[in-house]
Amino acid sequence: MLSIENLSVAIRRPGRQVAALSDVSFAVRPGEVVGLVGESGGGKSMVARAVVGLLPGGSHATGRVLVEGADVLRMDDAALAAHRGRGAAICFQNPRGALSPTRTIGRQLVDRLTTHQEMSGDRAREAARELFEAVGIRSAQRRLDAYAHELSGGMAQRVMISLATGCAPGLLIADEPTTGLDVTLTREILRQFRHAADTDERAVLLISHDLASIAEVCDRVVVLYAGTVVESGPAAQVLREPAHPYTRALLRSVPDVGGRPVVATPGTMPLLTRAPENCPFVARCAHADDTCASRRPPTEPLAGTGDWSLACFHPQTRPLDAGTPPTPATPVGGAAVAGPVPQRAVLEIEDAHVVYRSRFGSGGHHALRGVTLRLGPGETLGVVGESGCGKSTLAKLVMGLVAPTSGTVSVAGQALVKQPGRPRPRGRALRRARTRAQLVFQDPIGSLSPRRTVGDSIAEPLRAAGLSAAERDARVAAVLDRMELDRAILRRYPHELSGGQAQRIGIARALVGEPDLIVFDEPTSALDVTVQAQILDVIADVAADADRASVFISHDLATVRGFADRVVVLYLGRVVEEGPVDVVFDTPRHPYTRALLGSAPRLGATAGSEGAGVELVKDLEEADAAAGCPLAARCPFVTDRCRSERQELQSYGESRAACWRVPELPALIGRQAVTP
Amino acid sequence: MRIFRFVIRRLLQLIPVLLGVVLLAFLLVRVLPGDPVRSILGPNATEEDAAAARARFGLDRSLWQQFLDYLGGLLTGDFGTSIQSGSSVGSEMALRVGPTLELVVISVTIALVVATTLGIWSAKRANRVGDHSVRMFALAGNSVPEFWLGLVLVLVGYSILGWFPAPNGRVDPDTNLTPLTGADLVDAVLTANGPAIASATAYLVLPVLTLVVGVVAPLLRSVRASALEVLHSESYAAAKAHGLRDRTLHRGYLLRATLVRLPSLAALVFGTAIGSTVLVEYVYSWQGFGQWALRGLLYRDYPVVQASVLLIALCYVLVFLIADVVHAILDPRVRL
Amino acid sequence: MAESRTAASGDTAAAPVVVAGGDRESRFARRMIIVGATILALVALVAVFAPLLSPWGETEIDPANTLVAPGGDHLLGTDGNGMDIWSRVLHAARLDLGIALAAVALAVVVGTLLGLVAGYVGGWLDDVLMRVVDIFQSFPTFILALAVAALLGNGTVNLIITIAAVNAPAYARLVRAEVRSLRELPFVDAAITSGASPVGVLWRHLLPNSLTPVRVIAPLNCGWAMLTLAGLSFLGLGVSIPEAEWGAMISLGAADVVGGRWWTSVPPGLALFVCVLGFSLLGEGLQDRANAKRR
Repeated sequence: MLSIENLSVAIRRPGRQVAALSDVSFAVRPGEVVGLVGESGGGKSMVARAVVGLLPGGSHATGRVLVEGADVLRMDDAALAAHRGRGAAICFQNPRGALSPTRTIGRQLVDRLTTHQEMSGDRAREAARELFEAVGIRSAQRRLDAYAHELSGGMAQRVMISLATGCAPGLLIADEPTTGLDVTLTREILRQFRHAADTDERAVLLISHDLASIAEVCDRVVVLYAGTVVESGPAAQVLREPAHPYTRALLRSVPDVGGRPVVATPGTMPLLTRAPENCPFVARCAHADDTCASRRPPTEPLAGTGDWSLACFHPQTRPLDAGTPPTPATPVGGAAVAGPVPQRAVLEIEDAHVVYRSRFGSGGHHALRGVTLRLGPGETLGVVGESGCGKSTLAKLVMGLVAPTSGTVSVAGQALVKQPGRPRPRGRALRRARTRAQLVFQDPIGSLSPRRTVGDSIAEPLRAAGLSAAERDARVAAVLDRMELDRAILRRYPHELSGGQAQRIGIARALVGEPDLIVFDEPTSALDVTVQAQILDVIADVAADADRASVFISHDLATVRGFADRVVVLYLGRVVEEGPVDVVFDTPRHPYTRALLGSAPRLGATAGSEGAGVELVKDLEEADAAAGCPLAARCPFVTDRCRSERQELQSYGESRAACWRVPELPALIGRQAVTP
Repeated sequence: MRIFRFVIRRLLQLIPVLLGVVLLAFLLVRVLPGDPVRSILGPNATEEDAAAARARFGLDRSLWQQFLDYLGGLLTGDFGTSIQSGSSVGSEMALRVGPTLELVVISVTIALVVATTLGIWSAKRANRVGDHSVRMFALAGNSVPEFWLGLVLVLVGYSILGWFPAPNGRVDPDTNLTPLTGADLVDAVLTANGPAIASATAYLVLPVLTLVVGVVAPLLRSVRASALEVLHSESYAAAKAHGLRDRTLHRGYLLRATLVRLPSLAALVFGTAIGSTVLVEYVYSWQGFGQWALRGLLYRDYPVVQASVLLIALCYVLVFLIADVVHAILDPRVRL
Repeated sequence: MAESRTAASGDTAAAPVVVAGGDRESRFARRMIIVGATILALVALVAVFAPLLSPWGETEIDPANTLVAPGGDHLLGTDGNGMDIWSRVLHAARLDLGIALAAVALAVVVGTLLGLVAGYVGGWLDDVLMRVVDIFQSFPTFILALAVAALLGNGTVNLIITIAAVNAPAYARLVRAEVRSLRELPFVDAAITSGASPVGVLWRHLLPNSLTPVRVIAPLNCGWAMLTLAGLSFLGLGVSIPEAEWGAMISLGAADVVGGRWWTSVPPGLALFVCVLGFSLLGEGLQDRANAKRR
């Protein structure tokens, strides 16, 4: 179906030259799902663009991109127009942006159907409805007249899939189709692609940065590094026993809910200006020798296998996990796990509610609904939940960036923001108090002031503390050393930094004033996988400081497991479960926690661990918080009591969960599995 | 139905704004330096003459009372009496609005059509010769002083070529046009007066051309920028990557998305055109609203200035209201 | 994404397929900036050295030669008062450029400060300031300029204030919108949690970043300020004869045009046009460059 042979793409613009792809070859057969994996800058999107003939300006391409025997690179405009859509169709990364805002989604689908399947208008509308239903859009008839801005993220991705399949392409390309979607949705969307390959004999090329999450639906995977294919082979085998050091590094960088420790690989992917003459991974590889540095390894089939090939002089054969002890992992955090409540609380939140008032009209958005937390020095608290659960609001609440509508928050005994019936420091005292708690942001570059130097940004908290310039310089230098950053970086501006560097700067800024509390708000979600592992290492180190408390907020359960002592699961502004991290992860109580854990990807996972078995019935965005249990609208075990009665946290063993049906759940889950 | 409710609500909101404008205009003319009474009486008038004239125009009463009188008059449709001419401001204005509106509406309409076609055409050929020429034309239009352009057009079109009538009116008086609305071309068509149609059209060409050049430039730039943004957008790239036909792409994915931003811009440009007419009418002795209002301002003719300010503000807010409605129709993301 | 593709060069797989595009846009932008800046530099030079370049004084009258055609003693002829057009066109650059630049500078400073405060403080202060801006912006700008000019009367300083007053609201609105969107970005939160004072946040973090759009708009605005100044003078509300100003000169020559005497009004208009075009080219080029960066 698709066969790429020795594709090289160089982008030449004045003052800039990039070797985006170098000698890439692979094939996708009908009915097959192939995963194209690698970090950003690896050339994944360039492959997709080459396949639909949309290379960016200034590209010089050699090699061949054959779709059903015709070379896309050498098609004229007419042939290209016929090829796009009918031959290969892309599902774009940001579906809401890729849908036209001023045309109903039904019309957009009908456009595709009439263009590529020569349907009449009425027939196409009927077919559009069927396609919408096929991708899991409820009340499809009504949705045909909806506009893109009325759709939730998951819904928009479903529409995008229907648009791509509506072109009836032989080859379906999905560019990071699940970025920005919650774990519970990710699996559902990925299944759509498997379905497209199985039922219509389409070839599917699935592009992702996350090998573990797509491996489940892929037949084969192709791993890209710096524009070269380093490894390709059967998905299950590559996932279990990756042979190329980079693939291994990639997999080891991903935290796992099972608690397997993350192994960070130093360095970053090089940005090549010309096709590499040696192994592009050589600088970061533990097995590298002189041969690797002087010659580029040829792509050769792995001995004794059919279609498993790699480009490496030193193939690794051991299974990935050999040598590392299995779970349970020891938390890196210094304090003992969930001991007695410490005497001195660094952070105290008492029944806090946050309501964002809408500017017009009544009501408003209830972001937090009664959260109580207490954190002592040396403790690390993990906070997990899907988007919209109130994680970020919690971070802002702790930092005094939003005021609680009711309830209290104090950091090191002081209120940072106006609270009902409590005094708070003002002026300089307030500014000092603020520096006691520091925040590490999700967007590392955006959290640095664009027109101030890195040195300025790091020293900001010290300025508030009133330190002299010399003292400031000394402290900044010390913290830079701890972050393993070069002094020269101090004079740079944020846009000159890589994501990993910027996040180290962000952590340095948080650390420099030696605060009592650091809140990490999704600190790695914007980073590439191997960089993420490096940053997680740094954070684990910082969180281990015994005199400081840390809060680690993430949508990714696995990252939390790495170093939190305790974990809190948030859902629609309420704590639904809390407890020691291993207890919650190994024996989840609340249906929501079970569902989250069940849909989290695991390496070499055997489905059916204790968390699995609970499948929520709707997308988060469609469900609204009822008066009773917030999960009532999505929980498969819902009863009238759940809907009417507010659920308080109750102790079940070492952890606490806000669900009265916890004792009955194991039996219920068993029954659900039998009768789906 | 929702649009209807929106319009009603917006019209109600207009009342306080217009009240504010009335008050502002009223105060403004009274702080203007210069005395209107002195200017009509001439240098030889005695203090008694001036006092008598002030009493005649009610200018001897307290500010507060003058304002209430004026408001009361407005409610009954009375805009007061011009100090300069001594006739009713309302009827003078009625005579002047037609010609100006004709000029502005024709110019803005032509400009809108030219700007959308040329702007989209240009964006589709971004960075090629045609596009660059269009951009240079827009830049030149943006930079040319319209009153000077008017003079140059008179020089070329009348003095040198003699193709168009002299800049001394709106229609040849020999055609015996019966004024109905004040907009001469409309009147000529309504009365089926053939020679008047020809004459009015000939008189319109140069001033309309002058206004169009000034007005089309900002529109053209924005349409081009907006179309370019759509062409570069992910959604357009997606539609293109799915192999839709050029016609479908153009009509379904480019046109409407581009035009979404046009209404509010057109309203703004309408305002610019009203401002420009003051200059253009002056050049062509159009004897329209702009020239009338300008003279009122120069001679401190209080009632005339007040009435013009009120009318301009009313016109402006109404045009913006229309723009908002059109925007809401074009853009599904807008909620009324 | 470039759509133009050069035809595939041959069928051999070795020959690269080249997709054109990429740098043409920036080249055009650069060219516009260079041409615009050159024009403005020339105008500035002319303004500075006007007395050296002109054979006659700014207001010098040659009573024997009124309304003479170009040629002879007077390169571009004389106006009805017998003043030399060429000399006056050169001298006018001083007043036109000076007033326009001063007015825009004033408008930028006042507008930016108001916008910063309104955007950052919010609340009733924001409401009041923005309502005032609304009232200003509910009139066509030229009409507003006419009214303010009539109110303040003639004089260089008054004209600067007039034009600045008409423009400042737009800057206030622009900066306010920018500040409000910047406030939502994490780096502002980072500054606050790092203990920066409100003034520090405003001055060190918001101000430098909110000036980006101002920098692009200001040159375009200078051109517009010049046109407004000339328009006011044309109608007798700006600079008045005998001072040399392009709009006033055009006004003086307007009556001559019908009789075909072009030299009194065409040259000053052309000078004005070229100068404004310089600002437009510069502004457009800067805008292109800013857009390219954003993409």
